[in-house]
Amino acid sequence: MDRTEREATWTDGVRAVSPILLGVVPFGLIFGVTAANADVPILATWASSFIVFAGASQIALVEVMDGGGAAFIAVLTAIIINARHLMYSADMGRYTANEPLTSKLGAAYLLTDQAYLVTTHRFPDPSNATGSVRFYVAAGLTLWATWQMTTTTGILLGAAIPASWSLEFAIPLTFIALLVLAVKDKPGLVAAVIGGSVAVAAVGLPYHLGLLVGTASGIAAGMTAEGWLE
Amino acid sequence: MTMWIVVIAAGVATFSIRFLFIGLFGRFAIPPTLERALRYIAPAVLAALAVPAVLAPGGMLNPWSALLPAAIVGGVAAWTTKSIGAAIVIGLPALWLLQWLA
Repeated sequence: MDRTEREATWTDGVRAVSPILLGVVPFGLIFGVTAANADVPILATWASSFIVFAGASQIALVEVMDGGGAAFIAVLTAIIINARHLMYSADMGRYTANEPLTSKLGAAYLLTDQAYLVTTHRFPDPSNATGSVRFYVAAGLTLWATWQMTTTTGILLGAAIPASWSLEFAIPLTFIALLVLAVKDKPGLVAAVIGGSVAVAAVGLPYHLGLLVGTASGIAAGMTAEGWLE
Repeated sequence: MTMWIVVIAAGVATFSIRFLFIGLFGRFAIPPTLERALRYIAPAVLAALAVPAVLAPGGMLNPWSALLPAAIVGGVAAWTTKSIGAAIVIGLPALWLLQWLA
């Protein structure tokens, strides 16, 4: 059966995102533990989970402020890390185009790597995506609730999770699994190979700029390969 | 107090980034070039997130750690099962095993 034939329900969104929680739970705990052990005001750092709600940039805020960095640099680093959401926003906008403003505001607040990727994986074509917004919001709220609970738990636990467990490796494993599922054709493979290679080569750039440079190179390479292979 | 300002500024900026195109779309047609580019976001950004985390953990190039074989095991698990959970459930113990053997 074609999966898009049946209209997606709330449960479908929760179910689609639940395996990803295996990666989000340790990420949230690690953020909490990092924050608890850093020299930063803990209440404001805890509040970043619902004010910013973007894990990698929250960790960067703690790292910069803990190292005695300037507030301006901390915010700039967060903006650079989260700039990829601009692309997700451009893509999700096609799904939410006919929604009222309140639901667009909610959809924007809940935008994350994981919610975006499970939704576009389940609904590759925005013009044939009945129920996709409901699916996306269900996935997004599940991720949101998990993030609030695990970051809070991590702060309360402090250093109780031994570093030797290497739990943080669950995060790249999640991205690798999503990557394996996202590469569907040769241009997509080219985008991944170039994106990954450039990001590694650019790993020494300040403010985590390598992520942006790698992503932009990967997209350009994918589009070029598409032109050649046709 | 500074941390509150940092968190709120980062929050406002992040929300603005997330809302920009979601808020704009429906008001104008999407250019075809942008539509083509959107198809390569997922593979490009995921590789740019995952590959440095495996080959250069903590920002230092170190391609010969136990992370690479464990990542390959996790990737193969995801590929064969089409499941994200499998990558973690198999990849993480693979890392523990490799670190224990080392």
